[in-house]
Amino acid sequence: MAKALALLNDKRVRDWIYQIAVVALLVGLTIFFVRNASENMVKAGIASGFDFLWRASGIDVPFVLTNYTRSDTIMGLFWVGVANTMLVTVIAMVLATLLGFVVGIARLSSHWLLSTLAGAYIEFVRNIPLLFFVLFWYFGVIASLPAPRDSVKLFGIAFLNNRGLTIPLPDAPSNFRWALGAILLSWFAQWLVARWARRRKDRTGQDAPMLAIGLVLVVLVPALAIAWASLATRWDVPVLRGFNYRGGFVVIPEFVALLAALVTYTAGFIAEIVRGGIQAVPHGQIEAASALGLRPGRILRLVTIPQALRVMIPPLTNQYLNVLKNSSFGAAIAYPDVVSLFMGSALNNTGQAIEIIAMTLAVYLVIGLAVSAFMNWYNARIALVTR
Amino acid sequence: MSSASLPLWRQRLFGTPATGIVTVVLAFVLAWVAIPIIRWALIDANWVGTTRADCTAGGACWVFIRARFGQFMYGLYPVDQRWRVDLTGIIFLVSVLGIVFAPQRLRLRAGLAALVVLPPLGIWLLAGGFGLRPVETREWGGLMLTLFISVYSSLIAIPLGIIFALGRQSQLRVIRLISILFIEFWRGVPIIAVIFLASLLLPLILPGGIGIDRLARAVIGLGFVIAAYMAEAVRGGLQALPSGQREAATALGLNYWKATGLIVLPQALRISLPAMTNEFIALVKNTTLVLVVSILDLLGIAQASLADPAWVGMNMEAYAFSGAIYWLICFALSRWSRHLESRRRL
Repeated sequence: MAKALALLNDKRVRDWIYQIAVVALLVGLTIFFVRNASENMVKAGIASGFDFLWRASGIDVPFVLTNYTRSDTIMGLFWVGVANTMLVTVIAMVLATLLGFVVGIARLSSHWLLSTLAGAYIEFVRNIPLLFFVLFWYFGVIASLPAPRDSVKLFGIAFLNNRGLTIPLPDAPSNFRWALGAILLSWFAQWLVARWARRRKDRTGQDAPMLAIGLVLVVLVPALAIAWASLATRWDVPVLRGFNYRGGFVVIPEFVALLAALVTYTAGFIAEIVRGGIQAVPHGQIEAASALGLRPGRILRLVTIPQALRVMIPPLTNQYLNVLKNSSFGAAIAYPDVVSLFMGSALNNTGQAIEIIAMTLAVYLVIGLAVSAFMNWYNARIALVTR
Repeated sequence: MSSASLPLWRQRLFGTPATGIVTVVLAFVLAWVAIPIIRWALIDANWVGTTRADCTAGGACWVFIRARFGQFMYGLYPVDQRWRVDLTGIIFLVSVLGIVFAPQRLRLRAGLAALVVLPPLGIWLLAGGFGLRPVETREWGGLMLTLFISVYSSLIAIPLGIIFALGRQSQLRVIRLISILFIEFWRGVPIIAVIFLASLLLPLILPGGIGIDRLARAVIGLGFVIAAYMAEAVRGGLQALPSGQREAATALGLNYWKATGLIVLPQALRISLPAMTNEFIALVKNTTLVLVVSILDLLGIAQASLADPAWVGMNMEAYAFSGAIYWLICFALSRWSRHLESRRRL
């Protein structure tokens, strides 16, 4: 008896008892829920398992990047949703970063009107729900655009109207594949040259004309490649026939509205991160750099930005993950992303709630883990090296 | 004349040629955007009347908002019962103010008492039963529902968040692992998917025959997600607290729960209050997502009101009004959070 009490008073033993109790409670709850679920499903006549994925879907999707048609399987539908989610996420991340940096730097400008306007923009978008912006762009702005007949013409090749944005589409993509190859090759060459120049500078102290080389390899070669590809390809330019445009590729209004909302909203948050990051660099650093004779441009590039980035990366990662998760707001205006297609349409047709919910959540968790892993790697690479 | 002798505003806006150009360009852009908006919203707007026909000037038709004001605030809550909503709001507001301004030694007890009494009281007043006429949650809506979901979700989120934040800091490996999994799972999935999940799965995993209200499902779903974010906010406070505090408490002979409840949490929560307020702002904004399971909060009512054939084309008015209310609530909260943060720094 006394021995048992002594055992109970041993901290390690007690810790294990607590932990085992918690685990037992969780396992018990899980069993309870699973049993209820299977009973309820039997009652409702729902089969379980993933067989339904290989049934024909019969669902039409207005915006398809893969070669899916309605006679394909539900698995095909799933991938259409994933692709659409990825598409809007990636484009929104890039554009929101650009807009966010512009607004964030404007916020720090010494020009009073500019920084006030940037501040007003930030306070405006941060304090209003994202869904508000999604609905506003969709039902407020895009719905009030003119009908196809009176489209807003962009350079005579792209047309914006209340059915979306119609853009030209190349007849054959092979030229663009070559161009993409050339661009990647030229960027790789730039990386090699930069590495060589850095090593030579460490060794001999001599500067290489990196600005000129960079302009050629990073800007000029890609520009030429794209120009060649666009000129050498026959374009399917949309033409007005009757009430709507024929040919080209129609970017659906849901995509435009969701993208506009994600970009304008997220940019407000990124702007604050940029401002915070730049302000976190101690002023002494900049003074020291200018005392060493560095010009303002180099101070920005060599002193301010590297240190600001270190502060900015973790919150930026959070914002990128938010863009991924927030792309699901498209479900509210029926943008065919993975939530709206799979958790909405496919679930309605099959009734297999558990399998479909698990797969949909897995998409976000997997992509989210990949993004954080990449950003952690990047963060570790630029982190301050200390002993 | 050197630029230093110019009046401050001229120096700021026209100090150098470059600043001058930027000022002129910005002023043009501002005028191009702001003047039409001001004309639409104020100068050419229609303020008085009862029907759409009263909107004869070209600008905004605020008559629409006046006619629909009750719906924007209360949804379809029966008109003769709306005093119950007002009463609930007043009771909550007075209690919160009472707790904030109560003497220090009474504050904790008053707070705990309010936490036990107020939530059931609020549900009784709003939903009815026990002498009051029952009002189904289907009839709730508008701003009242936005506030209801925000408050009741955070009643789930804050305690859960504190528990999982403590769990994540725990020495017990299994508990730490479970907490990390819980937090990272809910933080990794979109809220819209969680609301779908709650509305589909909750009825499925409960024993057959137990119905669960549609609104309750949404509140529970939101509560779980926000709990994960709250946990991270609380963790910030726990990590900011010097570890000597807990060590000192342990040295004085306090056990884990006493040290946590009396020493660690009161200080850590004070540190994390601004971060928790920010999560609450995010929650207020995210309540709008209940729209996808056809629960009509303020934004949902605004959206639904666009379908009224008697008021066609009131999109901008409905959005402007609902957007302004969200903005006011969130802006006030964010200012408060900033104030808390600056007070802590001093």
